[in-house]
Amino acid sequence: MKPSILKVALLLFSGTVFAQDKAEIKEFFWGNNDTYKNTIDIPAKWKNESAVIIYKNEDYDFHKFGKSVTYRSAIRERIKLQDQAAVTEFSEFTYSEKSNPRYGTVVKTVIGIKVLKPDGKEIEINVDKEAVTVDNHKKIAIPNLEIGDVIDTYEYSTESFQSTYDYGFDEVEKTLGGKHPIMNYKLTFQTENDFFVNFNTYNGGPELKEIPLEKRGERKYELTASDLEKNDFPVWFYPLVELPCYKFQVFFARSGKFEKMADAFLPEKEEIVKKTVSKEDVLNYYMNKFRPYGDLGDIERFLKGKTFATNEEKVRAVYYFTRHYYYTMYLEAFVAKESEIMYPFYLYGANPIFFRSDIAFIDHFMAFLKDNKIEYDIIVGTNRHNGPIKDLLIQENATAILRVNTENPIYIDYFSPFSDLDKFSAQLENTDAYALKVTKLKKVVDVENVKLPSSTYKDNTSKQVTNVKINADFNALQLNRETALNGHNKDEEQSDKLYFFDYVNEDYTKYETKSLLDRVKNKKDKEKYTKEFEALINKLKDKRKEELTKETGNEYGVEIEDHSLEIKNTGRFGKTTPFIYKEDFTIKNNLIKKAGENYIFEIGKLIGSQFEVNKKEKNRTNNIYFAFPRSFDDEIILEIPEGYTVTGIEKLNKTVENETGGFTSKAVIEGNKLKIKTFKYYTNYFEPNKNWPKLVDFLDAAYQFNQEKILLKKN
Amino acid sequence: MTKKLLFASLTFFLFQFSFSQKNIDPTTEDIALAKNLREKYKKSDIAILSSSENITFGLNAKEEKVTVTQNIRENLMNVTHRADIQKFEFYDSESEIEAFQMKFRNDKKAVFMVNDEFYKSDDLFYNDARVKYMNIDFPVQGYSYFYELTKKYKDAKYFTTIYFNDEYPVLKKEITITVPKWLELEIKEFNFSGFEIKKEIKKDPKSEDTVYTFTVENVEPGANEKLSPGPSHIYPHILLIAKSYTKKDVKTTLFSSTADLYKWYKSLVNMMKEDPAALKDKVKELTEKAKTDEEKIKNIYYWVQDNIRYIAFEDGIAGFKPDESQNVFQKRYGDCKGMANLTKQMLKQAGFDARLTWIGTKRIAYDYTVPSLSVDNHMICTLFHNGKKYFLDGTEKFNSFGEYAERIQGKEVLIEDGDNFIIEKIPTSNALANTETFTAKLRIENESITGKTSNSFSGESRSGFLYSYNNIKNNNKEEALHNYLTDNDKNLTISSVTTSDLTNRDKKLSIEYDIKIDNKVSRFDNDIYIDLDFKKEFDYLLFKERKNDFEFSHKENYESLLTLEIPTGYKVTKLPESVSIQKPDYNISISYELVGNEIRYKKNFEFKNGLVKASDFKEWNAFIEKMNKIYNEQITLTKS
Repeated sequence: MKPSILKVALLLFSGTVFAQDKAEIKEFFWGNNDTYKNTIDIPAKWKNESAVIIYKNEDYDFHKFGKSVTYRSAIRERIKLQDQAAVTEFSEFTYSEKSNPRYGTVVKTVIGIKVLKPDGKEIEINVDKEAVTVDNHKKIAIPNLEIGDVIDTYEYSTESFQSTYDYGFDEVEKTLGGKHPIMNYKLTFQTENDFFVNFNTYNGGPELKEIPLEKRGERKYELTASDLEKNDFPVWFYPLVELPCYKFQVFFARSGKFEKMADAFLPEKEEIVKKTVSKEDVLNYYMNKFRPYGDLGDIERFLKGKTFATNEEKVRAVYYFTRHYYYTMYLEAFVAKESEIMYPFYLYGANPIFFRSDIAFIDHFMAFLKDNKIEYDIIVGTNRHNGPIKDLLIQENATAILRVNTENPIYIDYFSPFSDLDKFSAQLENTDAYALKVTKLKKVVDVENVKLPSSTYKDNTSKQVTNVKINADFNALQLNRETALNGHNKDEEQSDKLYFFDYVNEDYTKYETKSLLDRVKNKKDKEKYTKEFEALINKLKDKRKEELTKETGNEYGVEIEDHSLEIKNTGRFGKTTPFIYKEDFTIKNNLIKKAGENYIFEIGKLIGSQFEVNKKEKNRTNNIYFAFPRSFDDEIILEIPEGYTVTGIEKLNKTVENETGGFTSKAVIEGNKLKIKTFKYYTNYFEPNKNWPKLVDFLDAAYQFNQEKILLKKN
Repeated sequence: MTKKLLFASLTFFLFQFSFSQKNIDPTTEDIALAKNLREKYKKSDIAILSSSENITFGLNAKEEKVTVTQNIRENLMNVTHRADIQKFEFYDSESEIEAFQMKFRNDKKAVFMVNDEFYKSDDLFYNDARVKYMNIDFPVQGYSYFYELTKKYKDAKYFTTIYFNDEYPVLKKEITITVPKWLELEIKEFNFSGFEIKKEIKKDPKSEDTVYTFTVENVEPGANEKLSPGPSHIYPHILLIAKSYTKKDVKTTLFSSTADLYKWYKSLVNMMKEDPAALKDKVKELTEKAKTDEEKIKNIYYWVQDNIRYIAFEDGIAGFKPDESQNVFQKRYGDCKGMANLTKQMLKQAGFDARLTWIGTKRIAYDYTVPSLSVDNHMICTLFHNGKKYFLDGTEKFNSFGEYAERIQGKEVLIEDGDNFIIEKIPTSNALANTETFTAKLRIENESITGKTSNSFSGESRSGFLYSYNNIKNNNKEEALHNYLTDNDKNLTISSVTTSDLTNRDKKLSIEYDIKIDNKVSRFDNDIYIDLDFKKEFDYLLFKERKNDFEFSHKENYESLLTLEIPTGYKVTKLPESVSIQKPDYNISISYELVGNEIRYKKNFEFKNGLVKASDFKEWNAFIEKMNKIYNEQITLTKS
């Protein structure tokens, strides 16, 4: 924007504070209208808090002028500092006076800081003088800041960019309370025509109010709250589901055409703040988003000559084929490019298909289903940590997946190298969702409520068999364990342990495609790239060995040595293929304790560290949110050293089971082997707080098992 | 690095014509060499096959400054499968980088993007040092590059040392220093012993330049290990002192002696515009109710410790010149120099004789016989009182007046004395001054051990505790103390915690509490096995791969006494053995003793010099392994 135009813009928007003038910005926050100007006292109940926020104000403004859109955010915090930690926390600030977060976008920021002494004396910091420049940002150390002071700061940013099309501002989803208690909180925002607002509060948060304005087309909203205690964010917790919070998003769309294009559930008119998104809204939004589209040539060639007993089989085969053909086939190319071994992409023909978004993936898969006359619906759900679908407000929080209506419905997610068809995102499982009905295999026409299937702890399993040998000197344990994971228990472990070189070859073989290096024709080049690729893989293997040595040690809470890994099954093709790997490693000078001529063996530690419910967590007040139900089945087979007898195995038998899950263990001696089986499981996705003691019961039982010891008694 | 890939950056339809380079891939000999080197240097990805460093001097007569040009050429080889490294070089307002580049093995330029950023450090809020760096990839084993750097220093006093080692192993290093006839340069050698460093001095008959050449082969990489002595203590290096230059028969002195160094420091001090009036009210407030001089001094010294935040701005000369006391006072922050000067000015205001004092902390190996800027890195304040000198370091938090932090103990100081200066040494104290004790009177109750315990801290163990504690949020202090005392061990339950005043830095600190310990008593048949040691102090201190001496943050003396009452009807059938070790740097003894119906388990760890020397590691490790065995041994009680 040219400066002259900017000036005109400022005059036009006289009702809002667009002024770049620092004095005006200061007046906006700390001027005569500042009701908190003299507040420095805090309620007695918070006198032991590190810091107390006397006033927090967030003010947002969305306006347009010509082709330009300006977004302004103004945040002020007035904070009483009550200890050294608070002084340290608020004594330094970093900001950028000017930045370009995206092409064509300029963000300008002005900050203000003042310090109020307990006697009421106010010291304004000369920010321009005190700040130093480090690369593209500024740093300031607040002078004259002491325990007992109040610090009052503001950050005023304007972001200007050109937008002919629709534009969605970043969504905001926040709990009202934060890490310090807040005495007074106010959120305000102003918009005008062409800006569409979705806003709502949840879990008892205060309602948004509209402040009437005289000027037509201009709107202002306000939310206030007071006396907000600080929040605790414990484990297994989804704050937005439980704590008072607000969500909002502003969308800019100049005309009806762009309103239709916008990736948002827009309100009908600008003057309406959209508070809820109905299933009809979802239908309207998605009606035109998806269409069967894509070149099916590759799939047709793949299907040629193949027969399938059922449609289900066919869908499975095609899904795994596309996962390879449109994804894993290119992984090596990305690696080669990123590590600067070569520029590989020309090796994949002139028009390769590669999915860049879930929409492209769904469109393409829909095209296949349509072509093969297989019925399907589009399911729209929202991740459980966002709250229920009825509270859906922001489009980004909606996830679309396909449900293929075969004999047993198949739910299809956008793929990862490990995605398999017997599961879909655990965050969507067991939630209410909308099914967009597709007629004639083509168009979305109707919507209905559905409950998505759940998985159980019997689906999400981990089975581990560990063989343990004690060395002759009783100072080292040789462990050999095989782990088989299924369901969602595979998810993290696969992406943690598997590298591209572990699974691309199985895909090349299965689908008779060529690896990156096989595509290189020039013999000399091929030789060179092969060497460089091998070098890279060897380096990654070294890195993995180092990481796994550390991680496996952490599982037991001890150091391990000589770790080796063998992948037995990558587990990438559904329920019937668990992810299986074998490991060998040594634990030295640990877990075995000398007791005269006998030894105490901390055998309980071999099931790995268990969750410890500490003193504070015991009194948990929040509900409990798990990612998914799951179970851990462990078998430990100890070879009893010759000349020794095992005593004390009765302590290894435990049973605590209730509706939230359980921990059971059983130990038997068979010949020269001590065999221990343990089983720990979590039944549900969610437990109300009243069930916490029940969870603690079996968590503590598992912890106690972990502490148990046996005696190896010399015969 | 390459495990997770994004789709977005894909550009499919672009072709790239790669220009193939000749003779850049490693030869068979290169690969063999790389493999050999990796065998030798298992932790290093890169080896510097050769490095030559050329130092030449120039004269900026107008500013009376000797300039320095440093030229470095290195041949770097990847000795592992593949290496991705960063090559970097710092510069600041007194230096500039003229050349910074890589070449392939065939001597053709290898283009890597050169980034240029501020050097950011957690210790310095702001400094004018910048860093240039390139991300270099070595795609296969044996791959090599040539590196070249040319850097100019505007003033020789800022060019102080050249090290023979690097972060990578150096197979061959040559340092050439060409000293022109007009320059008087002293070259001091440090830590040469154990290295075969050859020195050659030649005079160029034509130019009359003196050329010093140092060569060395096979230098191990520097080990980046925490709690190590500073590099000037351990690595071979030379220190250059440009003492004077002569132009047209006029000799200009630079840093010829300590007096010259002091003169320069003093000239900076003289540039300060002090306004002591700004401190008047605060000094009055701090001293008016004090009954003794010592109380006055303490009030001022502690106020500075508690109220001035350590924030350092190293911007050009501000790296050497203290900030005025009124500024530091008003801002409530400053670096060591600012705090030293504020302490001095406040004490002066209160009628005491206090002076600025330069010091090189323990990290620095040199003393004030070396007139160089690298001799010191810190500033404190010396108080002259009743014929004694007291050294006050405002950056030390919760430091009791009259006690000195390990990092300054025994170090030489340069104290201002008008146009003269005083050189002194800071007194040292022994490990007993920092004693930490732990005692517990315990008994067996069912499957648990219960009892009463008490901790005490003095000296640096106390100041360290107080500093950590007082920097925790008020609303978390109780929980944090609980977690500290239980070491986050779920098996430990503590209650009835009482403490001494946790803001007092002069008195002995004590903490008492009741304890219950679970899962340490095992009953099998007629026996009870007790894992009495639930703290296992220093068990982690094994130095398997460490190269450098291990330095504790201060000299330590730790005394622990656990007393366990034997339950009625039981007798002791097995006590773990006792062990001890006495060395010049440490005394450790661990003993079990049966006294009446009590087991007394005593542990003493005294680190007299606050360190374990690398030369002792073998013996040390053997001892710790033995100690850990005892830590793991159980006491056996049998029904009598």
